[in-house]
Amino acid sequence: MAIDRKRVIQSLSKIQVVGNDQGLIPAFGVLVNQLPTKFWNGFGERLTRGVGPDTLEAAEWLLINAAHECGYHTGHGIITSEEWKSVVAPMVENTEDVLHGAFAVFTAWGWAKSEIVELVPNEKMVVRAYDYYEQDVVSYGASAKPSAYMIRGVCAAFMDLAYGGKYDPTGKTGMRTFTCQQTKGIECGDEYGEFVVTRAA
Amino acid sequence: MPVMEETQLILDHKFDPQTCRHMVNGELMVMHCHHFITLYTQLAEDCGMLDGKKLMAEVAEDTFNEMLNKYYREHEVTDVTDRITIAEQYYSAIGLGQMKVLCAGADGGEVELVHSHVDEGWLKKWGKHETSVNYVTSGYIAGLFSAVFGQPTRHFNAVETQSIVCGAKSSRFQVVAN
Repeated sequence: MAIDRKRVIQSLSKIQVVGNDQGLIPAFGVLVNQLPTKFWNGFGERLTRGVGPDTLEAAEWLLINAAHECGYHTGHGIITSEEWKSVVAPMVENTEDVLHGAFAVFTAWGWAKSEIVELVPNEKMVVRAYDYYEQDVVSYGASAKPSAYMIRGVCAAFMDLAYGGKYDPTGKTGMRTFTCQQTKGIECGDEYGEFVVTRAA
Repeated sequence: MPVMEETQLILDHKFDPQTCRHMVNGELMVMHCHHFITLYTQLAEDCGMLDGKKLMAEVAEDTFNEMLNKYYREHEVTDVTDRITIAEQYYSAIGLGQMKVLCAGADGGEVELVHSHVDEGWLKKWGKHETSVNYVTSGYIAGLFSAVFGQPTRHFNAVETQSIVCGAKSSRFQVVAN
């Protein structure tokens, strides 16, 4: 059975998160927050535009790494959650279905309206994002700098979870077995964002 | 003696099936985890390229000041007590923790956190830290005071004087007008 993206998005987009009586949101084995996207975009954009060309790559790596760790741990929490078990798991027959399901959830929860367009098991994945909050860093013209650091990190993390071996809560093994490059971006004037994930060197 | 009812925050959640984006009170919101926010915080802390702590606090101040001002305007919240109550409830609703504004005036105030997403997330991920790390909340508080007293951003400065991440039972912030 293939993943019914429409059904997953319809079902899981209805989930609303709100703080408990301690103002915290424990979910998926982590503490969750729900902040305005302006905060994440503002920090990433002011940082990467402010550091200068010599240290831009280092700053970008740190932003991608934050998403990579987030995607690895929260991603594991999601694919073992009750929500996943009740909605997505019945459609899953193999590892590739898990990945397609994960991007349906990624879409439903507002990270990026995205899907896998090419998948070579254990080797390569190409993801397209047709709408994502990180594109909002540009509201006029086209940027020379792709800015979807969160999507890059999460795409690599999902491949780690699929093909990087057993989940390691310490993150010492299993994580960073894949790396992701952004080859297109709506913020750069392209029609969609494109993300190519390959084995890390 | 009359019993005063506490103002209640209204959360209006909408999902746009076309863009697959989530809006709360007209504000585009996204869910992230403590790994993400603590790694961003660590980046701000260790950033040798520019003053990352100041940058993070200022982005938070701009973001939350705008969010609160929009809410006060749309819901016609004009009373100082009501504005503070809404800001405390908003802080909890978005999962940042439990905030109590102990006192507030045009020249400054004091704020306490009984629970803190950033501190408790940091403790969960790395354990105790020697110095305070909650730049997001410093910015939230500065933005809150500016919104409550109708001042522009950067009018107030919030400094963390005691931190859960350092082992204290609660975090404390001193607020002063610049």
